[in-house]
Amino acid sequence: MAQTNEPGGVSRRAILQVIGSAPAVAAATATEASAQTAAKAPYRRKVFDDRQWHTVEVLCDLILPADERSVSATKAGVPEFIDDWLDFRTREDADDFLQAQILGGLSWLDQESTRKFGKDFTAATPSQQKELLDRIAWPEKAAPEDHRWVAFFSRFRDLTVGGFFSSEAGVADLPYLGNKAVSEWKGCDPAVWAIIEKRMGG
Amino acid sequence: MQVNTRPKTYDVVIVGSGAGGGVAAHVLALSGAKICMLEAGAWYDQAKQSDMFKWPYDAPHRAAGTREKPFGYFDATLLGGWEVPGEPYTNAHGSNFMWYRARMLGGRTNHYGRISLRMGPYDFKPYSRDGKGFDWPITYEELAPYYDKAEELIGVFGSAEGLENTPDGKFLPPPAPRGYERVIQRACQYLHIPCVPSRLSILTKSIHGRPACHYCGECGRACAVNANFNSPGVHLMPAMKTGNLEIRTGAMAREVVLGADGRARGVSYVDKKDRSEQTVYGKVVVLAASCCETARILLNSKSSRAPDGVANSSGLVGRYLMDTVGSAVGGFLPILQDLPPQNEDGVGGMHLYMPWWKYQEQKAGKMPFARGYHIEIGGGRSLPGAGILNGSERILGGGYGVELKRGLRKIYGANVHFAGRGEMIPNEKSYCEIDPNAVDRWGIPVLRFHFEWSQDEILQAKHMQETFQEIITTAGGKVLFSSTAENDWGISRGGEIIHEVGATRMGDNAKTSVLNSNCQAWDCKNLFVADAAPFISNADKNPTLTITALGWRTSDYIVDQMKKGNL
Repeated sequence: MAQTNEPGGVSRRAILQVIGSAPAVAAATATEASAQTAAKAPYRRKVFDDRQWHTVEVLCDLILPADERSVSATKAGVPEFIDDWLDFRTREDADDFLQAQILGGLSWLDQESTRKFGKDFTAATPSQQKELLDRIAWPEKAAPEDHRWVAFFSRFRDLTVGGFFSSEAGVADLPYLGNKAVSEWKGCDPAVWAIIEKRMGG
Repeated sequence: MQVNTRPKTYDVVIVGSGAGGGVAAHVLALSGAKICMLEAGAWYDQAKQSDMFKWPYDAPHRAAGTREKPFGYFDATLLGGWEVPGEPYTNAHGSNFMWYRARMLGGRTNHYGRISLRMGPYDFKPYSRDGKGFDWPITYEELAPYYDKAEELIGVFGSAEGLENTPDGKFLPPPAPRGYERVIQRACQYLHIPCVPSRLSILTKSIHGRPACHYCGECGRACAVNANFNSPGVHLMPAMKTGNLEIRTGAMAREVVLGADGRARGVSYVDKKDRSEQTVYGKVVVLAASCCETARILLNSKSSRAPDGVANSSGLVGRYLMDTVGSAVGGFLPILQDLPPQNEDGVGGMHLYMPWWKYQEQKAGKMPFARGYHIEIGGGRSLPGAGILNGSERILGGGYGVELKRGLRKIYGANVHFAGRGEMIPNEKSYCEIDPNAVDRWGIPVLRFHFEWSQDEILQAKHMQETFQEIITTAGGKVLFSSTAENDWGISRGGEIIHEVGATRMGDNAKTSVLNSNCQAWDCKNLFVADAAPFISNADKNPTLTITALGWRTSDYIVDQMKKGNL
């Protein structure tokens, strides 16, 4: 590790002063950004209509509900993330396969729910919703004729999971402990390594 | 009053400010030469512009990559990628080469992986060893002192291992390995694959007034405190302090201007600010515009004196273009799941790597392909972006609800991935030339690429696939993504690994090379090349350290020849 007063070196204190100033700059920028955000209207949807939006909210929270450690997917802004992501990918990939797959899958949920239970997916009872999801949430166990909707659900689950765990709430949930200055790098925590070694020995 | 219209003549004009142009400017400016450097991109000040410590959730689309910014929103690259707006290139039928350019001060050194491996003695004489490709006109021993200087200036960590054809260097102490890296190392031990501290140009100790790394793991964003190597912070700023270096940004080089005596007089360029046509004059011209861009400038420098372009009497400018062979495998290691959380960022890159280990088997004719590869690794509790924990059904079987949420927490950090980086042998079918029709927005004719892998590279990718899968299963893991013969073992596209080398090869004969052993054009003695274009081969060792060492050697030669009045 860096020592103070090395020949041609920089003292640890000077480094930490420089590094310490970086978050201050970032914080100033963040304040500016959030001031702008506050002035801005709430998120404006780019892809989902009202019906789809409602289905997305219900589905996201079925996939990642609140529990003792973190909020639900909707509370973490996942529907907004997915709406924005579908718009982004359509532009970036110059095709709308992903968007069509997601919108088509949401449609199928209502279609199948109406056929079986006589009402939209969002109006179905929790056990009816579960019945439908159990058909498509387990790729290995799903019926071959459901494969399109299995693929839809896998994609939707990935979007929900990615949106949730990359959000501020998700980062804290994992938890991811980096993206900051560390004064000394020590490698793998010996207590963690002891567990790994024990597992390797077993 | 009489106006003096004689243009200013610099001692040296350098095109490009990346690894090669940077080291040339550094060495030449410190020796007292007056330099004008042309950079096609914008000025860059990492202290002010780095996105260090910012969070993906505060960026558009969680900082995901785009066509115009493939390495993500926070990547240091101002303008660059395999697609640059208004600067196209074309591919001949059957080729799909990708050409990455970074238009900014410092070029690709701002974002690159900082892997700093010396080429070894075998790598300079590959033809002598296996009868394929070509030998370099210099030996490892001739370049070794410059590897020393390069490492001492830029700062490279590593460890002395004494491994075959994997020379040790002037190393700073390596950072301790992460947990998943130690598990991989254990599996490699069992398989007799060397797994040793990596060698990256990131400071683990303060040197030359630059602070040591603070281990935020995001070197690709550029380091606001200059703790990793990048041309602006390490080469150019000290060079500018001498007062001998002038840098013109937004200067898109068009061609090398020849004088009546056949010597280079300077470089013409388009000033992007006002699209005006400019020329800068120098006693010496150094091209370091990046391998393919340097070839493009030479090929576009056509005149009655040089009908096929400057320095191209051999017809070899653009020929023997190489990239690195890449192939990747990912897996899940159950042994790593559900561990107490810890910060696994470390430096921006791997702390351990696996150098090529089968030189003796190859020599004995026991391997189905020539040349080797090294293995780069990643994984662990990495910074969460948009795709985090995607594909979890491959591990958890699927599902939803609280049970899924708990499962995801358990498997976070238990994924690992392996990327092979291997040597491509130069071939006749891989080259770039000027497209007969297409031009860029500056009116400069663009490159057309031809690219083909040979069986040596494809079989090498197969070996990568088999080896990485074996490491994963040895560690008790499950392979999550891999490739088969159906897609040529996942071999990368030409240019995808961004290690283009070889388009103005050096040699000991003016008929079979563009440059002599000092990277001086055979046809034009005051014209030099200081990027990766002079390379004769493309060893698995990433090119930047060799660009730096070779560029330093070339610059020393220029200083010496200028002193002797030969330039």
